[in-house]
Amino acid sequence: MVESFEYVPTVCPYCGCGCGMYLVVKDGRIVGTEPWKDHPVNEGKNCPKGRNAYAFLYNEGRLKTPLIKKNGDFKEASWEKALELVAERLKAADGDSAGFINSGKIFNEDLYVFQKFVRVVMKTNMMDNCSRFCHSTTVPALVSTVGSGVMPTSLLSIERADCIMAAGSNTQETHPLIFHKFIRAKQRGAKVIVIDPRRTVTARNIADIFLQINPGSDVALINGMMKTIIEEGLEDKEFIEKRTRGFRELKNYLSSLQMSEVERITGIPADMIREAARTYANAETSFICFNAGITQHSTGVENIKALADLALLTGNYGKPGAGVSPFRGHGNGEGFGDMGPLPVFYPGFKPVNEETAKLFEELWGVKGLPSKPGMPYMDILEKCSVLYIVGGNPMVSAPDTNRVRKILESKEFLVVQDIFLTETAELADVILPAATWVEKGGTMTGIDRKVQRINKAVEPPGEAKPDWQILCDLAKVMGYGEYFNFNSTEEIFEEIRKCVPQYHGITYERLKKAGGIQWPCPSEDHPGTETMFVEKFATEDGFGHFQVVEYKPPLEVPDEDYPYVFMNGRTLFHFHTGTMTRRTSRLHNEQPDGFVEINAEDAEKLGIRSGDRVVLRSRRGEVKAFAKVTKNIQQGVVFMPFHFSECAANFLTGPTAGPPSRMPEFKYTAIKVEKVV
Amino acid sequence: MIGDMYLAWSSDEETLKKGEYGGVVTTLLKFALENKIVDAVLTVKKMDGNRYDGVLTLITNPEEVIECAGALHCAPLNIARALKEYLDGSKDMRIAVTCKPCDARAIIELVKREQINIENLVLIGLNCTGTLLPRVARRMFEEIYRVNPDDVVREDIDEGKLIIELRDGTRKEKDLDSLEEAGYGRRENCRRCEISIPRMADLACGKWGTMGKKATFIEVCTEKGSQLLDEAIKAGYLQVETPTREALDERSRKEKEALDRSKKWQEKNFNELKGLNYEERLNYWFNHFDRCIKCFSCRDACPICYCVECRLEVDRNFIPGGELPPDKLFHLTRLAHVGDSCVNCGQCQDACPMEIPISKLFHMLNKELSPLFEYVPGRAADQLPPLTVVTDEELRVDEPYLFLKKEST
Repeated sequence: MVESFEYVPTVCPYCGCGCGMYLVVKDGRIVGTEPWKDHPVNEGKNCPKGRNAYAFLYNEGRLKTPLIKKNGDFKEASWEKALELVAERLKAADGDSAGFINSGKIFNEDLYVFQKFVRVVMKTNMMDNCSRFCHSTTVPALVSTVGSGVMPTSLLSIERADCIMAAGSNTQETHPLIFHKFIRAKQRGAKVIVIDPRRTVTARNIADIFLQINPGSDVALINGMMKTIIEEGLEDKEFIEKRTRGFRELKNYLSSLQMSEVERITGIPADMIREAARTYANAETSFICFNAGITQHSTGVENIKALADLALLTGNYGKPGAGVSPFRGHGNGEGFGDMGPLPVFYPGFKPVNEETAKLFEELWGVKGLPSKPGMPYMDILEKCSVLYIVGGNPMVSAPDTNRVRKILESKEFLVVQDIFLTETAELADVILPAATWVEKGGTMTGIDRKVQRINKAVEPPGEAKPDWQILCDLAKVMGYGEYFNFNSTEEIFEEIRKCVPQYHGITYERLKKAGGIQWPCPSEDHPGTETMFVEKFATEDGFGHFQVVEYKPPLEVPDEDYPYVFMNGRTLFHFHTGTMTRRTSRLHNEQPDGFVEINAEDAEKLGIRSGDRVVLRSRRGEVKAFAKVTKNIQQGVVFMPFHFSECAANFLTGPTAGPPSRMPEFKYTAIKVEKVV
Repeated sequence: MIGDMYLAWSSDEETLKKGEYGGVVTTLLKFALENKIVDAVLTVKKMDGNRYDGVLTLITNPEEVIECAGALHCAPLNIARALKEYLDGSKDMRIAVTCKPCDARAIIELVKREQINIENLVLIGLNCTGTLLPRVARRMFEEIYRVNPDDVVREDIDEGKLIIELRDGTRKEKDLDSLEEAGYGRRENCRRCEISIPRMADLACGKWGTMGKKATFIEVCTEKGSQLLDEAIKAGYLQVETPTREALDERSRKEKEALDRSKKWQEKNFNELKGLNYEERLNYWFNHFDRCIKCFSCRDACPICYCVECRLEVDRNFIPGGELPPDKLFHLTRLAHVGDSCVNCGQCQDACPMEIPISKLFHMLNKELSPLFEYVPGRAADQLPPLTVVTDEELRVDEPYLFLKKEST
């Protein structure tokens, strides 16, 4: 006999789409997933990851107890012992010698407590989030042009666009339920432009115009498009006059460019560039989206500035279905930013400085909050002698894996808080087992600023605890319990509402509605904000600012020794470092191993056929994997997914942009390729 | 007795008040639970009072049954899947299930495949002329009816109109065909569906033939249904009367009207495709299949699919893993496996994230197969699927139409 049978609504733990689903919970255990057809984002449809989302919860590898490393082996320990040890080491770390890494996988409540812990207990801003590796270029670029690095419209409004331009986004594989909106838009007659060095499924299935660009030349392309638009008088003169500044400088710069040079740099015929430009500019409402293909470059900031310029030029801001949108990869890819577990922002995007520190001292009732910015991810990894990593896996996700291993092994003390024994956790001194997703509940904020609730559906395994709970317990052990007196995620959320103005009008009760609420939501009777920048931009003067950007080549260009361009990226069936998906049998079975995508002509030259073992070498490291020969990638370009730790793409990468982004150039590294004999 | 028809209504005042018609379904379910004829009731309820968000619920407390009273047109689920997937095919638990025709038909198909124990089930059939997708319904109410979707407390489809009732008592109606021409209205598969009265259940309950009375029309379809009804009447839960000739005619007329409408939609949806030549038609479908991302939602949602080790999974070494789009045999295999038994429930098409019109393909082909094999899916549990009873000779036939002609002469 069945004791209990319930449908629990929740949101997928994987990507930033924020798709709803029902989990069928029978006698305390999740037995299946059912469509949540009333959910506005996905209407009961899910992708392969979503359909199998709950499987990883029950994988036998789940961390169930704290582990302390003794003589190279992990021994089970009590929470008391483990937290005592961690507290001792953190107390001994002075000034900026302790660094904290967090992840977009973790809920708003966890991240809020995380940053509060680092600031109140450790009194530093030495923390950073894994988005350093994907959208750290987005924020400075969009802040300088439109004042804010968020998606300015809603996912649903994409259906209403008349033209969609997907730059550096293999949307069908990375965000399938957004691709779904592309399909709907196209059914209504929209035109789709896809920009990518690879002829991905996205390009093959939806592009009306496919611009197969030379890697790393996006600034040249967009400048070429803008030049065309101005020359042919297709710019939105009224919008430019009323709502922007800096047009003349942009126009002057663009007039100095030669289309023949643009053609040479991008590898795209000038005619096609012009056609794309006209299509984008002539459409009533045009939507630009971009993802890692644009952001993960040394010129990522410039790439995105160019895209924002293009949208400003044509009046494509301030209305539904328009704008320039970053597609954040993680489920809480927007929310983490809002919560401020970053070296330069307090919660609500308040910059780290004296004024902000004082504000939070008042809000939290503490003294001595840190007002000096911390450091970005890789610098924290390198410079701090004590590291505390929550939900991150730099051994697979960070650039230059050989170097990362050396760095992590040299740490005085490494704490890893996670759900599985990841590649990074294996190097830890202490491992703390975390409860995840529907084992703890909380809120997540997806790509279009939509705050949604995750309901608790089942208990965590063994002694695993919610991330926020672990940090509160640690704070207590370290003597700061009074500032961390939270008994539920709802209590934490109430405090978030006080500190993050954009969340002020959102409550757990209001979040019961399918699809949640899009911030900014200033008051409890405010419905949330679908479209931003309707009247003015979030810049100081309210205007959109054109930024002149010049094409610059990537950091490590191919040469005689390393003649190929290497880029890493994603596939549909896996998620990031594969921690969850590779432990889900239906997903693992689809794609159990990594591979190298190599152009058919290049492969022929090198004597390589599909299935052959090949070795890729860069100036930093080497990787061996099976070759997948294809016509869908350009000559001279090689691709590997970064989901597979045993053939980890990041052994090859390394060169990284300077401030403000400090973005590793994952999408452009010089390598050589050989068949393994 | 099988074939008996009644107008019935609940003897309980509260149920009668809450019910849209006679409150009969609620009463029968309550009766079955209270008298331990079943261990539980499986039905659809509004999640948090939201009529656009229907979820399955397993009720063991008779007092809770009344909360599920009232037709939810915007909650298109298929109950058969839950029985098969989560409730062990009612192997050890006796359950009363409320079912639309597609639910009942799917259950019957699963009974044939020995995945559901029909002995443990009581099927309370619900007449149905279609359901709506919740998001389409919301948009339709906002943009066409110009009302706040949250104010709608009841929907009805009658005499070619889609009628809604609001919280404040106002009623609004629009022409169903016009709505559907404009892309609103019912789900596509519902528009094509020919079976409005679930005569494959134990009792078929609906509003046709009630002639404006606060009653429910019951058609007795099985011995089990007859017995249940008799006992409920005897125990004083229900009262019945014989329907007039007029009422019976009215019911027949409405059934025919629904059937005519469905035939028109079948023509609309299928003729375009039937007019294409073989290559064009293959291209049409292959272009759709090119977008497939192997989420397996169609297979998971299909109430007929039941194999534990599915032929399409990677470890069967048939459809190569990790390929996008998957080999076209992915879809064609599913078609070959369940095409003969498709009940046109539409769950596959609802679930597809890449907008592949799967239900259209499967239904179209099923309509071709059906007359060939004289097989209507879900009609009777003793009518086995063609592929399981096909003879060796039949398998070797090249021209099925000629073969059948020869057989009949």
